Amino acid sequence: MLALMEISVETMKRMAALGGFAWTDDELAPIQPAAQRLLEALERLERVPLGEIEPTTQYRVL
Amino acid sequence: MELVWASMADLGRMIATKEVSPVEVVRAHLDRIAALDPKLRAFITVCGDAALQSARAAEADLVAGRVAGPLHGVPWAPKDLYSTKSVRTTGGSKILADAVPAADATVVARLAAAGTIVLGKLNMHEFAYGPEGLNAHYGDVRNPWDGAAHRVAGGSSSGSGAAVAAALTPGSLGSDTGGSIRIPASLCGITGLKPTYGRVSRAGVLPLSWSMDHVGPMTRTARDSALMLNVIAGYDPADPTTSVLPVPDYTAALTGDVKGLRVGLLRAHFTDVAVPEVRAAVEAAAKQLERAGAVVDDVNLAQVAHVAPASAAIVASEALAYHAAWMRSRAQDYQPDVRERLRLGAFVSGAHYVRSQQLRALVRAEIDEALARRDVLLGPATPIPAPVLGERETTLGDGPSDTRSALIRLTRPFNFSGHPSCAAPCGFTSDGLPIGLQIVGRPFDEATVLRAVDAYQRLTDWHARRPAGA
Repeated sequence: MLALMEISVETMKRMAALGGFAWTDDELAPIQPAAQRLLEALERLERVPLGEIEPTTQYRVL
Repeated sequence: MELVWASMADLGRMIATKEVSPVEVVRAHLDRIAALDPKLRAFITVCGDAALQSARAAEADLVAGRVAGPLHGVPWAPKDLYSTKSVRTTGGSKILADAVPAADATVVARLAAAGTIVLGKLNMHEFAYGPEGLNAHYGDVRNPWDGAAHRVAGGSSSGSGAAVAAALTPGSLGSDTGGSIRIPASLCGITGLKPTYGRVSRAGVLPLSWSMDHVGPMTRTARDSALMLNVIAGYDPADPTTSVLPVPDYTAALTGDVKGLRVGLLRAHFTDVAVPEVRAAVEAAAKQLERAGAVVDDVNLAQVAHVAPASAAIVASEALAYHAAWMRSRAQDYQPDVRERLRLGAFVSGAHYVRSQQLRALVRAEIDEALARRDVLLGPATPIPAPVLGERETTLGDGPSDTRSALIRLTRPFNFSGHPSCAAPCGFTSDGLPIGLQIVGRPFDEATVLRAVDAYQRLTDWHARRPAGA
């Protein structure tokens, strides 16, 4: 079982700032639960065995 | 025949034989827009004078013996994220409220060359980022099937869904990143085709998520979608993701014959999670195809369980990348739900994004395998009918769900994989709301998808019903 990452509003603010977004606590607090759920779901994907599968986007029949 | 309820195919035929003039056809639609759109709010911009001018030119060409094709003189209306020369293209936003493109999107130009006439630009969820089809700037689109309660038309191509269903236009082009063509098609009782990724050019179409975006027709019949696809499909040097594979005549595939067609009924994660009335309607559609000679078996796609978080990571990342500059300088000008979704993209790491793209290959391979032994897959387009505006929770066959997630749950896997998929009506709830199925095909095999939907529409009349609220 992986330890699920917890993301606080403070952490979100720092991550957003790294991307050049000056978002306030009041702007980030309402989306903290959604961010938490998304990150937990993405962490659960770590358990899917992907082996050597290369990341691809779409069909390339050119 | 009431002109506004005629199909694009019939309008084209009647215009070509001079039974009606393009001016009459355009005027009838403009009159209907004037009468109904104040309530439906399907249009952001109506191009009345320009449409009549184009209709007169189409009529003159016809008299001179110049017929551009089977859609000559036929009107249509694009979702307002297709660039239209000299006509504002808002993306449903305040930010682009006054943006007037210098050129048409490739597909708009192709339809113009085919002799069609643009009636106006259709409302949508702001920047195509929402499956309800709501818009704080231009008004929420109302579902024409419910004149009393305010039910959503489904999005993001909500104006397209409502306008086609209520006969304000016989056809539209929508865009589909997680179901934005097929969700409003399902909720409004029309036909909507998301072609294979790479089949239709996205050049000149405002992006939401480059690797998930698809554009395609929204019409009342599969035949009309085939006619539009004939015009818009094919390689475009302006869109490097388009394929050079030859474009067949999609109308030639509409034989009405499904004898021997191998249909996989999508069970787990699809039909089995739909509410009972939707499930029953889709199972009845499978039986109907079986009685017509199709061979139906059950299919389960296990990897689809991973699609929701992986596609959310991809769309959130790509959408924020496109909107980053505006999110720094004009965040207050977005409607609140879209602004919040865009902000989520800041918390998806590069590793998450790449891993999600790896999962994409896994899911695509599973769907390809299911289609190796079948011609098409069948399931519901949405697990629920049109929700009431503000309805945040619903209950599916596997438990409670937020309504937004429920709306995109069954369509998004095929944006993730890139397979073609067409939604079409397959029944009505006891409340009189449309129920939509979707038929999924092999990559670049839109012909078989449209053949199956057209055959189903020859066996049923769900697609021919008219909303009482319109």
